Amino acid sequence: MSPMRSVWLSAFVLLGLLAVWEWGVRAAGIPAYTLPAPSLVVQTLAAHWGSLAASWWFTLKVTFGALALACAGGVLIAAVFALSPTLERALFPVAVVLQVTPIVAVAPLILIYVESTTAALLLCAWIVAFFPILSNTVVGLRAVDANLRDLFELYRATPWQRLALLRAPSALPYFMAGLKISGGLSLIGAVTAEMVAGAAGRETGLASRILEASFRTETPKMFAALTLLVATGVLIFWLFNALSRWLLGPWHTSESSRSD
Amino acid sequence: MHKTLIAVALLAAGAAQAQDKVTFATNWKAQAAHGGFYQAVADGTYRKYGLDVTLQQGGPSVNNRPLLPAGRIDFLMTGNLLHSFDNVKNKVPTVVVAAMFQKDPQALMAHPGQGYEKFEALKNAPVAFVAKDGQFSWWQWLKAVHGFKDEALKPYNYNLGPWLANVKSIQQGYSVAEPIYAENQGRFKPVVHLLADHGFSTYSTVIEARTETVKTRPDLVQRFVDASIVGWVNYLYGNRKPANAMMLKDNPEMTEAEIEASVALMKSQGIVDSGEAAKSGIGAMSAARIQDFYGQMVKAGLYKPGDVDLAQVATLQFVNKGVGQDVKTKLGAK
Amino acid sequence: MPETDPSPLISLHEVHKRFEPGVQALAGVSLAVHAGEFVALLGPSGCGKSTVLRLVAGLDAPSAGRVDAPALRPGAGPATAFVFQEPTLMPWASVFDNVWLPLRLQGQTHADVAPKVRELLAAVGLSAFERAYPAQLSGGMKMRASIARALVTRPQVLLMDEPFAALDDFTRQKLNADLLQWWQRLQPAALFVTHSVAEAVFLSQRVLVMAARPGRVVATVAVDEPYPRPAAFRHSTAYHTACRALGAALEAAGHEASAA
Repeated sequence: MSPMRSVWLSAFVLLGLLAVWEWGVRAAGIPAYTLPAPSLVVQTLAAHWGSLAASWWFTLKVTFGALALACAGGVLIAAVFALSPTLERALFPVAVVLQVTPIVAVAPLILIYVESTTAALLLCAWIVAFFPILSNTVVGLRAVDANLRDLFELYRATPWQRLALLRAPSALPYFMAGLKISGGLSLIGAVTAEMVAGAAGRETGLASRILEASFRTETPKMFAALTLLVATGVLIFWLFNALSRWLLGPWHTSESSRSD
Repeated sequence: MHKTLIAVALLAAGAAQAQDKVTFATNWKAQAAHGGFYQAVADGTYRKYGLDVTLQQGGPSVNNRPLLPAGRIDFLMTGNLLHSFDNVKNKVPTVVVAAMFQKDPQALMAHPGQGYEKFEALKNAPVAFVAKDGQFSWWQWLKAVHGFKDEALKPYNYNLGPWLANVKSIQQGYSVAEPIYAENQGRFKPVVHLLADHGFSTYSTVIEARTETVKTRPDLVQRFVDASIVGWVNYLYGNRKPANAMMLKDNPEMTEAEIEASVALMKSQGIVDSGEAAKSGIGAMSAARIQDFYGQMVKAGLYKPGDVDLAQVATLQFVNKGVGQDVKTKLGAK
Repeated sequence: MPETDPSPLISLHEVHKRFEPGVQALAGVSLAVHAGEFVALLGPSGCGKSTVLRLVAGLDAPSAGRVDAPALRPGAGPATAFVFQEPTLMPWASVFDNVWLPLRLQGQTHADVAPKVRELLAAVGLSAFERAYPAQLSGGMKMRASIARALVTRPQVLLMDEPFAALDDFTRQKLNADLLQWWQRLQPAALFVTHSVAEAVFLSQRVLVMAARPGRVVATVAVDEPYPRPAAFRHSTAYHTACRALGAALEAAGHEASAA
């Protein structure tokens, strides 16, 4: 199926589901404060666009900020681990502990210890997002073809040349796999942390708006904010898929096979 | 023979009058401020009025409110009228049927000797610990009328630790509860500012019900309100021990000493049984006061003048009947 | 040609190589290759022929004995080239980038080398695929690229480890002929590992027969045909004589092994 056809198909299915939702709510007379119809959600979104857009922007900033830091941290630590197996053996358990501790439990503590709420949110989202990047990149940096390694040694490559021309490109597919996972996790971490924190100074993200709407029984607004969150998740997914295709498409098996 | 028959019939009738199962959700973990309700369960008052009542606790992060319109609970306790205004504004079909507290004990407390002796100083505190429910109700009023800022907000999760550790921070609480814990844990008397003293004139610990319940089963609502009122009278002036024991089971972090201290404060601060309640019985409400409070909230910018149809906020049909006054007299209270 | 330079470019003297755990890859191997010679190492699996190549390349060190080769002399440039059994191309780089890698590792720039590389690509028949990725090439084409990369530094020593073993017969024969053509331009000292008698005879001037367990040289067969060698060489008497001699030598070595 051509790409255009599959886009149309997805759109059709999505619209169909929305239509069923709209019709179902009207036919069953479900009140707006229980389950609002999609048309009402869109209306509410438009009516409160100013403040919701500002919150959306804040959530995006935290999500992508934490993701950037997770990339930096994950890649850096992975490089250190790849260069020093001793350090890796020593510190890897710490990373694992960070990974398995549920963020919902840790977030309240972080909010107490860290002064700035925005910094606390970034930290929470970072903790959730950095591990997949770290573990995947570590594997990738080690997954260098043995013959290529010999080749570089034969031509007396410097350590920097080895890192930039051999290990980094070898690690790229693994890193991208980790990045795709971490993209979604970063959003979840940002939302979870904010649910626990509540308002964050002047700016608040979508999770706070959802909480606020829930406490004030403004269910259509809850759904409007939720729609934006879902849109963000989809955006992240699509963005990193496209990035992976662009970087790996010409040469890596994970992207070159076209499945239909 | 006839007497026995009649007795059996009456007994049967009594048993046949099946207890109505009722769920009542509160807005916090069990504390003295819920005492009257626990009393009515513990000493059998609800049962006497034909009600089998289950009390469902709230908590710092718990939001019981959607459960009422959804039909999962029958009655809901809320802390102030702002919740009811919001409901009516959003066409949620609930209504206030009684107001157990004439005064809202919502307060802010601070460490002594840190410059917070005057209420005006509170807004400059670098950190304010406020739970979710408060953040979206009275905190909005504090921001609009008294200049408090969101930057100071930090979540309050029922743990005074963070506030005790940071001497410059302020903390939400009920004037009849948190200061007691603060004194026990921190060994100092905190500075307490009651929001009601600065213009927050709402009723508190109000009972909400679905409008549908009020319309189709007014008798049930009346019985619940009456039994709750009697429960409060017994709690304040009678033998509290059964209620206290029940609350301690629901909330093991509470102590009996703290509960008793809290009751003393409730009485001395006139939270429950003062003003209209002293005249017309606990739970009293007046349309004038509701209107006045709404007017103040409009002035504060929380609502626009036409937002809320006040007639739908509360119904006075179940209160102001002097219920419980006789019990009070019998207990020898003044 | 070999006789004009008495001191060999590559020599092994009583070389032993033991791998953990207790595998005797080589036992007392001695051989010499002069500049401009094309020598084949022929033997069954496990006879240590790949190990000899790795010792000459400096990728491994002997457990006992002496190895002398340009790769092992201090301060030597990229005098030694290696063609692996797999094409060993960097999958994320184009053919052009793969081929000029050794020059890049020496610090040369793209502008410096472009004409040289293009000329080499033309010689191996890959001009049209300069910008293609390895994933888009056939097995034979990938091997051409690998050989081009080996030749790009104009090496003194060319080491090849069964490079055509994975290809079909037609491609293999074609590449045998092409290889001789390319080799003739510079005539590096070539050490070619194979377990094909036909290939060894067609390509080399001298075939060293090795036996396994432990790895050692058991026979030498000379192939006196001068270069260039046309396809008709495969049907000549000299060719068949050499093949028969090698067949006998291999059998003898096999009996020795089973008797040992």
